[in-house]
Amino acid sequence: MHGNTPITGLKPKDYKTGIKPVWCPGCGDFSVLSAVTKALAHLALPHQNVAMISGIGCSSRLPAYTSVYGFHGVHGRALALASGLKAARPDLTVLVAGGDGDGFSIGGNHFLHACRRNMDMTYIVMDNEVYGMTKGQASPTTAPDWTQSKLTPHGPGVPQFIPAAIALVSGATFIARGFTGNPNGLTKLLVEAIEHPGFSFVQALSPCPTYRPEHKAWKKQVRPVEEEATSDPIIAAQRIQTDDGMSTGVLYQTTVPVWQPEQGISADTGQLEEVFFV
Amino acid sequence: MTAIPNLIIETLPEFLLHAITLERESVERYEELGDSMEVHNNPQIAAVFRKLARYGELHANEIEQHATGLELPRIPPWDFKWTTPESPETGDMEQLHYLMTQGQALIFALHNETQGRDFYAHVAATSTNQEVRELAAEFAEEETDHMNWLNAWIRNLADPDSVSPEDLDPPNVTE
Repeated sequence: MHGNTPITGLKPKDYKTGIKPVWCPGCGDFSVLSAVTKALAHLALPHQNVAMISGIGCSSRLPAYTSVYGFHGVHGRALALASGLKAARPDLTVLVAGGDGDGFSIGGNHFLHACRRNMDMTYIVMDNEVYGMTKGQASPTTAPDWTQSKLTPHGPGVPQFIPAAIALVSGATFIARGFTGNPNGLTKLLVEAIEHPGFSFVQALSPCPTYRPEHKAWKKQVRPVEEEATSDPIIAAQRIQTDDGMSTGVLYQTTVPVWQPEQGISADTGQLEEVFFV
Repeated sequence: MTAIPNLIIETLPEFLLHAITLERESVERYEELGDSMEVHNNPQIAAVFRKLARYGELHANEIEQHATGLELPRIPPWDFKWTTPESPETGDMEQLHYLMTQGQALIFALHNETQGRDFYAHVAATSTNQEVRELAAEFAEEETDHMNWLNAWIRNLADPDSVSPEDLDPPNVTE
């Protein structure tokens, strides 16, 4: 977050566009929308100073539903788009939204380097362990023995991607996990993530009622992390690797210099027209 | 009623902020559900949620009148003294389905009203502030009236226990 002058009196609803979400009733992504708008209202960020960038997937529809600047990009490229935007407009609060397939499979390489680069932005991954928009195929976070997709009738058979562990070894400076069944707790994590100077990663466990109805059990499985957030990557690694992925809270936070490319020489529109035919 | 530590509301402005937030978030949720059911071509249930939103709006307006002239505190969403993960009348999203029936929608709403009643009853039983206790008891009674109204509506349904119809084109059929 940057030196935006807060606008007091804004309510979460003021950050919604009024476009009707197409998510299935009961989808956890509704709670992420609620948490994002509550976080923006709590921080009283002016709409014009915030941008929401996404890739492709159910969760990537978030820019359409939030009344800040938005860019619904191409599959897996949300972080690349957001990095470009942040490089050009470091004054903006940049939020990036997507799902586990978009972020960890198609966009997996961008995820690694966004963590490593540590630009000041917040990446929210709505993890439902499935490709929902394309009718329920296994994603990188799907358990190896999940057999409910016709494409993987015997289960994916390969170990799950552990987002928090990958973020940690890739250099992310803020790593948190939330649950959409606790939207106010998720709001707190998002506020902390946005206020964190550097790349903040929030994995939001977001049940898919259509393709993963068994996710209803998550409500009984999630629990707050028992320890305070650590800034020691070795301790964080141990906690993340020994956890079942259901602990929620800030898992790791440290402060290192934020990477922000130097502004190049800007061109005026006349110069651009010489290069690009409009 | 046993007081839950750290969830005791002591001042009128704090209580009214909770009550207004409870009612406003309930209205927003019903509006959202109305939108969602429309998108998923379930107009009958969309109409039910719209009706609940309209009634909730009236109730929210009434409660806001109690706060006229008062300066309400600013509380972060996660520091509200709810006994539920969200404000009590927003409901359990897991109970929703695009093919839900009128009976299921009304039972969802009844659950919300019950949680709202329980919240106000908890405040009425645990606050040390007489004015807060009295107003909370009044609001708890109003929520009980809403529960009675919903129960009557459910009883008047032709088939209150109906289950969701089979979806002949289910979303999880691939290829």
